[in-house]
Amino acid sequence: MNLDARDPWDELLRETLQRDVAAASDSLAGLENRVVERLGDRSPRRGFLGSLKALVAPTRGARWGQLTVVGATACACLLLGLFFGGRFPFAQHAQSALLGEAPATAKSVATRSPVGNGVLFMLPAKDAKVVSVVGSFSEWEPIPLSDDNHDGIWTTEIPLAPGRYEYAFIIDGRWFGQDPSADEYVRSFGEYSSVRYVGGGDGA
Amino acid sequence: MTKRPLVAAAVVAACLAGLAAAVGAVTLDDFATVLASVPVENQARVLAALDLGMKSSCCGFPADQTYDLFHRLASAPGAASDKEAIILVFTQAIEQGLPIDGLLNKAFEGLARSVALPWLGQLLGQRVRLLEESRDLFYSRGIFRATPGASVAAGATALPPSRFDALLSNLGDALGDYLESGGSPFESQKIYDEVQARLTQLTGSVLVAADVELLLSRIGSEDLKQVVLAVVS
Repeated sequence: MNLDARDPWDELLRETLQRDVAAASDSLAGLENRVVERLGDRSPRRGFLGSLKALVAPTRGARWGQLTVVGATACACLLLGLFFGGRFPFAQHAQSALLGEAPATAKSVATRSPVGNGVLFMLPAKDAKVVSVVGSFSEWEPIPLSDDNHDGIWTTEIPLAPGRYEYAFIIDGRWFGQDPSADEYVRSFGEYSSVRYVGGGDGA
Repeated sequence: MTKRPLVAAAVVAACLAGLAAAVGAVTLDDFATVLASVPVENQARVLAALDLGMKSSCCGFPADQTYDLFHRLASAPGAASDKEAIILVFTQAIEQGLPIDGLLNKAFEGLARSVALPWLGQLLGQRVRLLEESRDLFYSRGIFRATPGASVAAGATALPPSRFDALLSNLGDALGDYLESGGSPFESQKIYDEVQARLTQLTGSVLVAADVELLLSRIGSEDLKQVVLAVVS
């Protein structure tokens, strides 16, 4: 095929186009920039749902990444649901700490299941050497807890009359005022104290 | 034969005396000793107030606990003037006939936590003012502490002293705890909710349901806000 051979009609078309372009050269100056600017102005603004849709919509070459994002989002929702649904251990106490309020779980060990003649105080403290409880039932003098079978669960049983009792544990000299089985917490002298209601509250 | 009842009475009396000695009821002399060890300048005033409290026929003045506290306070590190200030807070409360159970608990806790004595005294003083203001509110709403022989005006309610004190003490504690937990004195509904929750929890065990209903029906959230504001302002 001879590349130099030119069709006369092609020659005529080329000449016409060149003539038209030359005639319109003034108006074509900066055309590309103007087109880009206009397109920029007219681009749709995505809201949250639009952005999410764009993120989730499958496009070639990015499907695995998008699946990861979707999966992570689903997992996060599931975890948040479990957390605020109180399914995790200590979730309610963690929520309370986050939200700055006392847990709504009234009636725990003390009110529901007094053991023997007293109220059971129990604290898991695996590596502790000495654990005691102080509170309004003892003029805030320490009452020792024991861990006879060395399983890290320290307990004591204190006979208490019906009423409201504030208390805290002392673990190897350090105060611990947030008993997981407390009915509520109060701030006292800038620290937390646990509270138990014994023998009613609901008329029991 | 006729001597038998006398012998029995003597034996019973001896047993009771022995029991009293074994229990070791606190006397004013015991208080005088512990106050001298602080030492307290206003000892006469403190002893007079304690005598008043111990002679009151009702409500079981917690003399033993008060003695324990003063004893612990005397041996705590700190200036004598700070210790006396705390003792005078209790004196003031007793003089005014206010219940001091909640104050004692707070003081014991403060000492156990090794709180600075000036701070402890300040906080206890605030609690006494809360009790004063709360009692004034009770009176203004026709809730009184019954006294033998006194007549009660129409529309007013006189509660037995122990029930009145229990109600007042727990209201004061609830308000004090609210403030100490950083609660705003301007949020009347939150204050009311706190008080209502506390009193309701204690209904049936420490408080009589009818007394709690009486209080909540006559005292509103704005009333409690005014009590708190009067104390913090």
